Amino acid sequence: MRISRRAATATAIAITSALVMTACGGSGGSSGSNSDASGKVEGTVKFQTWNLKTNFKDYFEGVIGDFEKKYPDVKIVWIDQPAEGYADKLSADAAANTLPDVVNVSPDLATPLAKAGLALNLDQAAAKYKDEYLDGAWKSHEMPGKEGTYAFPWYLNTGPMFYNKKLFKDAGLDPEKPPTSYDQLFKDALTMADKSKGKTAMLANAPAVEDFGRYGVKLMNDDMSKFTFNEPKGVELVEKYKELYDAKALDSGALTSVAESAGRKFQQQSIAMNPGGAGDLKKYKTEAPSLYKNIGITPAVNNTGKDNMYVQGLMVNSQSKVKPAAVEFAHWVTDAKNQMAFAHKVAIFPSTKGSLDDPYFSQDGGTDEGRVRVAAAKALKTAVNYTPAVFSEQMKTALKNEVAKAMQGKKSAKEALDDAAAECDKLLQQAG
Amino acid sequence: MTDISTRNGEPVASTGPATGSPATSRKARGAGRRTGVRTHLPSTPWLFLLPGFLVTGGFVLYPFLSTVGSSFTDQRTLIAGKWVGGANYQELVHDDMFWTALRNSLLYMVGVVPLLVILPLLLAMLVQNYLPGIGFFRSAFYTPVVASVVVVGLIWVWLLDDRGLVNAVLGVIGVGPVSFLSDQWLLLISAMLVTVWKGLGYYMIVYMAALGNVPRELHEACAVDGAGPVRRFFTVTVPAVRSTMVLVGALASVNAFKVFSEVYLMAGPNGGPGGEDTTLVMLIKQVGTGLTGRVGYASALSVVVFVITLGLMLLVLRADRKEDA
Repeated sequence: MRISRRAATATAIAITSALVMTACGGSGGSSGSNSDASGKVEGTVKFQTWNLKTNFKDYFEGVIGDFEKKYPDVKIVWIDQPAEGYADKLSADAAANTLPDVVNVSPDLATPLAKAGLALNLDQAAAKYKDEYLDGAWKSHEMPGKEGTYAFPWYLNTGPMFYNKKLFKDAGLDPEKPPTSYDQLFKDALTMADKSKGKTAMLANAPAVEDFGRYGVKLMNDDMSKFTFNEPKGVELVEKYKELYDAKALDSGALTSVAESAGRKFQQQSIAMNPGGAGDLKKYKTEAPSLYKNIGITPAVNNTGKDNMYVQGLMVNSQSKVKPAAVEFAHWVTDAKNQMAFAHKVAIFPSTKGSLDDPYFSQDGGTDEGRVRVAAAKALKTAVNYTPAVFSEQMKTALKNEVAKAMQGKKSAKEALDDAAAECDKLLQQAG
Repeated sequence: MTDISTRNGEPVASTGPATGSPATSRKARGAGRRTGVRTHLPSTPWLFLLPGFLVTGGFVLYPFLSTVGSSFTDQRTLIAGKWVGGANYQELVHDDMFWTALRNSLLYMVGVVPLLVILPLLLAMLVQNYLPGIGFFRSAFYTPVVASVVVVGLIWVWLLDDRGLVNAVLGVIGVGPVSFLSDQWLLLISAMLVTVWKGLGYYMIVYMAALGNVPRELHEACAVDGAGPVRRFFTVTVPAVRSTMVLVGALASVNAFKVFSEVYLMAGPNGGPGGEDTTLVMLIKQVGTGLTGRVGYASALSVVVFVITLGLMLLVLRADRKEDA
């Protein structure tokens, strides 16, 4: 068989053009989602959680089993994804149109999915359940520039700080009076660095977006169309942190640190304060007993009187073929009874009205978990989610890089924050 | 299409295949008796090629062309793009982070490649000798190759930490602590050394195969003429393994230019303090992944990486050809 060179060239060009044109089509969900979730509760519902199977398999199997008993026509298929790369997994599923029916999300993950029309508007589809949840929690999955709420509020948490009482004492600080405001934190940090001759730092992290929030910086304008963290208060925060960094009151690895490396520094007792949870406390008990006996727990410092609140939610896929069952199941998992049962398994806090008034959240019972639980629940009553829902991973990177440049003295704090705000505005605009 | 059976390049009468079904054998024997020529359907060779075409088309050609196509759109992870012409490439030229990443990738290549061309050759010559227990050293040098890059990266992070073993040793002699993991340049150099350390064993094996083909007589003749080990290295060993050195250089260049894991693990996901250690592949990941990823812009970056990598390969091949001439 003989193929002429001209025919071969023409075929190659045609195939290439076709392939290139298909690339322009790209991925993307339908923008016209249907918010109607009425109908019979039946079918197979795929339910995806975020790194919960390892520790809470029995709990979830119980919740699923009870739901299937109540709705015999429904089968729940539970999928759990590892913590690492969760956003990438969601984006791959969304692009391939294989997103599960009920998906565990945080507000920053729900925002792009809602904008792409992949999240069901629960203000319409589940309006009857709205009053069961705390107002702030229900609103946490609202999107700027888009009507509605796009995920059931699930469990809440706040980041209590662990501190090393021995290191406080060694620095001549009162171990029973950890800092409660940023001013005190900065003062204590400089004292500690001075007394330890730069060997002990107070913190292992440069300021992130929630630190700006806790410091009282206005992060965005009122219509959420522009970032404003480059205001004088934001500049002041970065300047203060630079002062700490120069005095070695901030760990030398602070500009590149991640949660794991900061935790390791705290365990090595080279830093005196770090965010932590019940899991960390258990780890320190077995891996670092000398640290464990000196650990104190305190709410994260703030200048606003309100701690930061981390919110998890359950989003219902607007393209789901079993929407009535998916909405019903998402509500089932997040209702007061099941959230309370979950809170008894781990230090998380229900987003349902009245649940936080339970004595379980005010009495520590003398256990480590209890100490963490009571401290966090106390802070949670007034906490707010400082991280704007539109603040994407790329924006976090831009802010972190610019703050690092300011701390290194490559830019002034004002210049760095102006550049970060401009980059975040550009990314916000591009996101549409 | 016809197929003439040959033996040592000369056409011979086929006596039929040694194996195969009886029916096939009879048919082939009959054809052989008549003309010595076996015939196939015209489509037969294409059918053999089809699986290869499908795999290459589906997993190489399509993704590549799709990336080229995307680079001319403003496609995002969840939003289909529209044609924007060369806007992504224009933006790239004005993007400071792109130039930082390009600088780092080029520096990485310049730092790593010479070491990965020379050190494994010396190592291969060392372990080529038959000495008692040499097998242990060969295995030891190869161990980093089979170790997971993530594990290796984490171990080095612990070693190079301000309170790690390396700084503890330096502290004993009154140096440091050295900020291996927080200084922009030291971080990049540390990552380079990890890449070299991890790659030594692999290229050592490649060189060992090449050294095995160098005739011993050449060394002996050279020694008889009075050449010492250094002279023999430059006049016998290097010319004999030159093509392997070119191959190692090409492979190491491409791998170094596309470095990701070592820098990611040691400098963190942001690429070091202020992102100053970001490499091109890290930048592609930062820009193009996640739910808000800018797939179009990341594709433009990928195309640039491809063009530079291709250019590097062509340069190496051209240099090799010139040497041959």
